[in-house]
Amino acid sequence: MSYKSPFSTSSSKPGHGSIVVALLPPNTPVLREVSYQYPLKLVAPDPLALPSDEKTENATDPSPSLIHTVFLLTYGGGIVAGDVINLSVSLESKTRLILLTQGSTKIFKTPDPNLVSRQCMNVSLAAHSALVYLPDPVQPFAHTAFSQSQIYKLNEGEGNLCVCDWVTSGRSARGENWDIHEYKSRNEVWTVTSDEKGAAKKRLLLRDNLLLDKNGHTNMQLSDRMDGFSVFGTLIIRGAVFSSLAQFFMDEFEALPRIGGRDWGDSAQQKLSPQEERRAKRQQQEKKDGLVWSAANVRGFVLVKFASKEVEGSRNFLKDMIKEEGSVLRNFGERAVLCLK
Amino acid sequence: MTASLEDQQTLKDEIADLERRLQDAKSRLSQNELVGTPSLPSTDTGFHALLLLSDSALPLGSFAFSSGLESYLAHHKLAASSISQFTSFKTFLRLSLATLASTALPYVLAGYRHPEDIETLDNDFDASTPCTVARRASIAQGRALLTVWDRSFKAQYTTSHSESEGQITSADESKKIAIEALKSFSAALRKFDYINAHLAPLWGLITRVLSVPLRDAAYLFLFSHARTVISAAVRASVMGPYQAQNVLASSELQDRIRGLIEEGWDRNVEDAGQTVPVMDLWVGRHEKLYSRIFNS
Repeated sequence: MSYKSPFSTSSSKPGHGSIVVALLPPNTPVLREVSYQYPLKLVAPDPLALPSDEKTENATDPSPSLIHTVFLLTYGGGIVAGDVINLSVSLESKTRLILLTQGSTKIFKTPDPNLVSRQCMNVSLAAHSALVYLPDPVQPFAHTAFSQSQIYKLNEGEGNLCVCDWVTSGRSARGENWDIHEYKSRNEVWTVTSDEKGAAKKRLLLRDNLLLDKNGHTNMQLSDRMDGFSVFGTLIIRGAVFSSLAQFFMDEFEALPRIGGRDWGDSAQQKLSPQEERRAKRQQQEKKDGLVWSAANVRGFVLVKFASKEVEGSRNFLKDMIKEEGSVLRNFGERAVLCLK
Repeated sequence: MTASLEDQQTLKDEIADLERRLQDAKSRLSQNELVGTPSLPSTDTGFHALLLLSDSALPLGSFAFSSGLESYLAHHKLAASSISQFTSFKTFLRLSLATLASTALPYVLAGYRHPEDIETLDNDFDASTPCTVARRASIAQGRALLTVWDRSFKAQYTTSHSESEGQITSADESKKIAIEALKSFSAALRKFDYINAHLAPLWGLITRVLSVPLRDAAYLFLFSHARTVISAAVRASVMGPYQAQNVLASSELQDRIRGLIEEGWDRNVEDAGQTVPVMDLWVGRHEKLYSRIFNS
């Protein structure tokens, strides 16, 4: 980390941006830096105070009272062939940040399949910091080539994450169905530890790398490889702040009806509890939306994978699950799920 | 007239003579090839090891895994006709091989090329395997392979190595490094619980120790997967055993495996990833099946 003069102008490289959330003692998180260059645009509305309940379990370490939000935007509402965006985000200890988008990230047609647009986000999280990044999906139009990476670096493996990455088949209204040249999305979580000598050592905790291109020798169109789904996504959850959300996903996955199971009518219909009723309703909605999902508890993460026939199916699923569990809304406010509305 | 006939006869004789000499020379040459320049012993042991590893009786327990096939079939409630099942199985096999080639093959290649990195490769592969079911299958088979090495192959391959001490070639030297890497990995597995022993990187490392050429090792890795999935299909009554052998023997499968190896030959492990996202869901939701005959 090089020293940054507080008087310096924002970086002048095109597409570069930087967000730093710092903690002003004793307990005031501030956006120390929000800088960006065309075609990237960042908008930071006023921070919101946490919804009333300040009496968290550990009163000695109250969670920060202000939650900052930054919208990640692009001029023209999308990414044009050849655009390169580099965003670095840094969360200091005990800070919280919500990252949002305003509508799906549209990827526009490229004149040459080899001209790949790129978007890289590097996030470093200090201990007890937390990031919620539940954006709108990426929507690559037909004949596009796009590659994005989201790299999260956790200091000493700590830090809390609830981040989603999802992609759609294109403009389905125009009949586009995965007619892309190439789409790549990489999500990586690393733990960075410094040894006695101060040298940084990093270890990979999670890599979720989606590669949609012509490779694979399947002799199949990309759309045929998708088994009729138009949306694929991954939700990555880690850390104490999100532990109840993580547990909720695991419990609900466990409670999914068995595939191929039959109702023999020998189990007496019991009166459903309100929770069971909500669950039954949601499962019905999932069935209607053609949504399938799985959750796995691996290496300190809960990793949720989902797919649906339409964008709305996945959006409903994420929104319903997060709202019903409720801890994200309590700890970050309604804004955190703005993109899921 | 007679003169020309005689001429023709001598010409014919000459041709016959030349042909005989040519054949003679050819046979001497091929004999030279067979006897005079024997293939290196390392290649021979490599071939032998290839046969060992290709045995479906190798106790890796792969018969217990369907790699998502069972779940795939449950997600596609198919008409009972065997034709539609068979067609849909072939689609699954293609997707399954494409997935394996894009996610695991880079780790096989890296395990072979960089034995010293085995711990990192094991960790990174674990980090890249998103679901419990796939992890369980990969670890079970990796550990089984390691056990086979420890109990059955190790004695043979480490002693024969020290016997041939006459002249230490660079090949010997690199093999020694690979054996050391394998030994320390195997020891670390017992000590630390962050070591998983996934199949792909270990397959690379062990085939390296067994002197199997890399392309053969990669081919066998993909082929074994195809065989496992096909054998699972037989037991899930998607097709009969003769049909299964037919798929295995097909030039389509051969070309696909070769093509996948060619395509992935230079792919770094950092760029390994899922090319068929729905596969993660099929494999991940295997746990949710009402009835199961396989572990994955």
